[in-house]
Amino acid sequence: MNETFDVVIVGAGPAGISAACVLADRGVKVIVLERGEYPGAKNMFGGVLYGHDLKQVLPDYLDRKCPIERNIVESRIFYLSKDGGFSVAYRDRAFYEDRRNNVFTVGRAKFDRWYAEQAKFKGALIVCSTVVTDLLRDSSGRVVGVKTDREDGDLHAKVVLLADGVNSPLAARTGFRPEVSSEHVALAVKEVIALPEQVIEERFGVADGNGTTIEMLGDITLGMNGVAFLYTNRNSVSLGIGANLADFARRKAKPYEMIEMLKTHPMVAPLIKDGKSKEYLAHWLPEGGYDTVPKLCGDGFLIAGDSAMFFNALHREGSNLAMASGKFAAETILDALKSGDFSRRGLEGYVRRLRESFILKDLKKYRRFPSFMETHEELFTSLPHLAGLASREMLTVNGMSKKAKQGLIWKAIRAQIPPLRLLRMVWDAWRSV
Amino acid sequence: MAKNTRGIEVAEIISDKCIACQICIGECPVGAIELSSEGVARVDAETCVGCGKCADSCPVEAVKFEKKRRKKAKEEPKTQEVSLASYQGVAVFIETVHGKGAQVSWELVGKARLLAESLGVRVMGFLLGSGVESIAEEAIAYGCDEVHAINDPLLLHYRSAAYGKALADLCNDVHPEILLIGATHLGRDLAGVVATRLQTGLTADCTGLFIEQETRLLLMTRPTFGGNIMATIFCQNHRPQLSTVRPRVFKMPEKDMGRKGDIREHSWEPPAFELPEIVEFIAAKSGSEDIAKYPALVVAGRGACDPATMPMLEELAKLVGGVIACSRPVVESGLMPYERQVGQTGKTVAPRLYIGVGVSGAVQHLVAIQGADKIVAINTDPNAPIFKVADVGIVGNFTKIVPELIAQLKAKLGTNGKRESA
Amino acid sequence: MHFVCCLKQVPDTVEVKIDPETNTLVRAGVESISNPYDVVAVEEAVRLKERYGGKVTALSMGPPQADAVLRQAIAMGADQGVLLSDRAFAGSDTLATSYTLSKAIETLSKELPVDVVLCGKQAIDGDTAQTGPGIATRLDLSLFTYVIAVDWIDPEKKRIQVRRAVEGGTEVITGPLPALLTVELDLAQPRRAKLPQLVHSLRAPITVWSGKEISASPQLLGIKGSPTWVRAITSPPARHGGPKFDAQQGTPAAVTGAVQTLFSDEDFAAKFKEKREA
Repeated sequence: MNETFDVVIVGAGPAGISAACVLADRGVKVIVLERGEYPGAKNMFGGVLYGHDLKQVLPDYLDRKCPIERNIVESRIFYLSKDGGFSVAYRDRAFYEDRRNNVFTVGRAKFDRWYAEQAKFKGALIVCSTVVTDLLRDSSGRVVGVKTDREDGDLHAKVVLLADGVNSPLAARTGFRPEVSSEHVALAVKEVIALPEQVIEERFGVADGNGTTIEMLGDITLGMNGVAFLYTNRNSVSLGIGANLADFARRKAKPYEMIEMLKTHPMVAPLIKDGKSKEYLAHWLPEGGYDTVPKLCGDGFLIAGDSAMFFNALHREGSNLAMASGKFAAETILDALKSGDFSRRGLEGYVRRLRESFILKDLKKYRRFPSFMETHEELFTSLPHLAGLASREMLTVNGMSKKAKQGLIWKAIRAQIPPLRLLRMVWDAWRSV
Repeated sequence: MAKNTRGIEVAEIISDKCIACQICIGECPVGAIELSSEGVARVDAETCVGCGKCADSCPVEAVKFEKKRRKKAKEEPKTQEVSLASYQGVAVFIETVHGKGAQVSWELVGKARLLAESLGVRVMGFLLGSGVESIAEEAIAYGCDEVHAINDPLLLHYRSAAYGKALADLCNDVHPEILLIGATHLGRDLAGVVATRLQTGLTADCTGLFIEQETRLLLMTRPTFGGNIMATIFCQNHRPQLSTVRPRVFKMPEKDMGRKGDIREHSWEPPAFELPEIVEFIAAKSGSEDIAKYPALVVAGRGACDPATMPMLEELAKLVGGVIACSRPVVESGLMPYERQVGQTGKTVAPRLYIGVGVSGAVQHLVAIQGADKIVAINTDPNAPIFKVADVGIVGNFTKIVPELIAQLKAKLGTNGKRESA
Repeated sequence: MHFVCCLKQVPDTVEVKIDPETNTLVRAGVESISNPYDVVAVEEAVRLKERYGGKVTALSMGPPQADAVLRQAIAMGADQGVLLSDRAFAGSDTLATSYTLSKAIETLSKELPVDVVLCGKQAIDGDTAQTGPGIATRLDLSLFTYVIAVDWIDPEKKRIQVRRAVEGGTEVITGPLPALLTVELDLAQPRRAKLPQLVHSLRAPITVWSGKEISASPQLLGIKGSPTWVRAITSPPARHGGPKFDAQQGTPAAVTGAVQTLFSDEDFAAKFKEKREA
């Protein structure tokens, strides 16, 4: 088509829409292309969002009736063996009061549509059911727009923001980013289980729209490098489990079976009892960390969100990184529009903003974390088992002396993990976080 | 009970119950209710004045509002207009097909008898066409007390405007309180025209008709929202109460050629405007069937989408007095024509017996077979959704099961099976 | 030529999931879409415009967010979208709906006389198929229901010839314009919008009319103008799955079990025999 836009954004997820909001707010002519039938149709995240990053884009998000499911006041961590587990929970008055909405849960489809609506109100054009198939370049190789799968579908723009997600065929095809290797992505599956509001509040000891999140680690991922989670929504809980894609392939594990097993775990089963499955979803998460982050901008383009592999594997943060990076991209574009320089140099401010922010700082800090997880499968195999054994034995009163029990436990540990390796693991873990 | 910041107890919508009919939106005096993007009503608590009108008007009790109101806002039922009383009798439109009365019309005459008996009024047949005397007598035999006919060459073939005017004219002459029309292609077209001409309410595709004794109103039950909700509808202040009913919902009445009744021919003034002209009628190719007419259907699904299996399914269908039909994937594969498709975008069917062969049971298919008397499902997948609605299920390979079923049914029925002429 | 398409926004039952226990549709999170039959009407209108020239107006009635169906029509080639939106329209049954739409078509005719109105055969949520015939009757348009092809339009002589699916075959019928067509799904395959049109549709102004703009009598609108009222809403008797017989344990035994179960319902057995022998 003939018309030229200031900015084309590929993908109407958290990254793309954050950028669209910031740009449209400043009167920039911006168009967002989304392959799904509506924003959020092809998107998935666990469902946890951080108020801080949303506020940076939409300071008045609460007044705009952001569809919050529950305000999170308690975080729990489960460390699970096959048949048992530990639970650590933390609650704080601050999360009820002045730090309310620090973390909250949202419904995937609802939130994305609402978020896209806000960008639309601000003046961004959101075009759905349209797939970007390639980038348009001029003779010097500079990106000048995108090609779509619609008739008369070439779209010219001063700058293109790629925010089309982790398994974007576009990013791979255009060579901005090497095709993601299966070691660097996790496959996550999620089931939404309906429960009455009252039941959720009783089971999790919350009220007034507050809720709980649970992160789970251990034997539940069948020895694979991964985690599981359970988040409370208003009248459902999201139960998910994810593991490294390469591990899935190696072990020929079926994600659906994993989630079914998780549902029967004694730590999980009572929380979802009598719930009805509403939805089942699967998604990739970019968990390669700092070392897999691609070139973040070039002549005429920038990359944000999952496409840029912005994901904090340890803290399971993705959507807030996407939002923040989308915002930084938009601010950089605003500068470039002023200077008229859309070359790589003109867009370098994006990388600087990311470096100065928590995004690249955190990713750098946890740089070793992905490889630590990858090389220490004990974390998901023998360790939870041994921890379970130790607790079970110490808690079982059966006439055996505690000393004898300690001996038994030590023997089991030594048989499965050489003490030196255990020490090494603790050291590596400390360094990686 | 939630209060807003002004301390007013506000109404709340129970999302699961809300059917998005928007009645409350129209009732709300302050515009506090709107339809959310999820398709349910939502009350803006700050705008709400707590009058409770939405709760009163909600047909499905989806508004939570328990405030004890000082005055009960409920409207007194309007006194019926005197003129309504001048409408009496239950009328049935007698549809003609190739010079014969349509079966659905006789089924409706049978139902009209029951309604008329509980009202203490007469059953009337309304007959339109050219040279339809024998059908008038048949109508009496099936249970009409009187037949009102318009005999005019203009009415030889169905044309909406002419039939619409004729039937409306009959209603204006005879003043029936109820008019029933078969929900065939023709009937659905005609009913919309007649209802508009008479400015009365029309309830389409009813599956149940009852008289409410106290009010003498006709209560009409129809499936809506893809068949997952049954709505009971009434028409209080307009006559006739007009309803269309699908074929085979009601039983065929006994035919008694000895019954007596009056046949009255009405003079008629044809419409003044120009009518469309039928240029040609192209009869459907042989093999073309209206599957909704049959009392039994053998339905091929994706799992049985293979030309080689069709003779086997045909044989089973013939044996049980039906025809073969299919689900959407089979039409998409080109194996069967669209007219044989059962489903939301195909046909809604209500046979006595439905046999699904290799049908997994997508929602769109299941909503279209809800009215079936008995559902038999044959599928290799024990978790196929169709088993959740099937009265009887057989898990396994249909290529073995169907021949065995044919053999056992033959033995059971003791005949070779005659095909019903529908 | 002025073509008017009537569109309804309906819940997308393709997205609807069935609750396995209550056997009902789960409406939560269901998307709204254009009624598929109406989209075919738009496609045909745009094709007729391409053939005979003129203008296509898309018309819908509903809450403000129903503008989405009009934008879809504009993306496919409609020239303008008119949304009838007024609290007074709420609770309309088919009589009030056809009144409101016909008043709007009258209003449109004042600017440019309407030659052909196209409606879907029925809506997938209500399945009533009454609105089209109702509009045609009110406006004295030639009514052609179940249209599967438009053979020709003669703009000079103001006539149209269409093919209709009727019981037992196809009827070829011709009549004077203006006419109203209700269309079957197999009339035309809706097109995928070109990108410029799609972008245009998102920015196109949508005309919003209330009862005043179409000079409608308030007592004939919405719930006041609707003779039919809903007395009750109930779930249909839920079907419960009956016994399952596994053919792995032997096909004859499984079939015997199934046949016995089926015919153990004497009422069914008797009716079945009667029907079969009829």
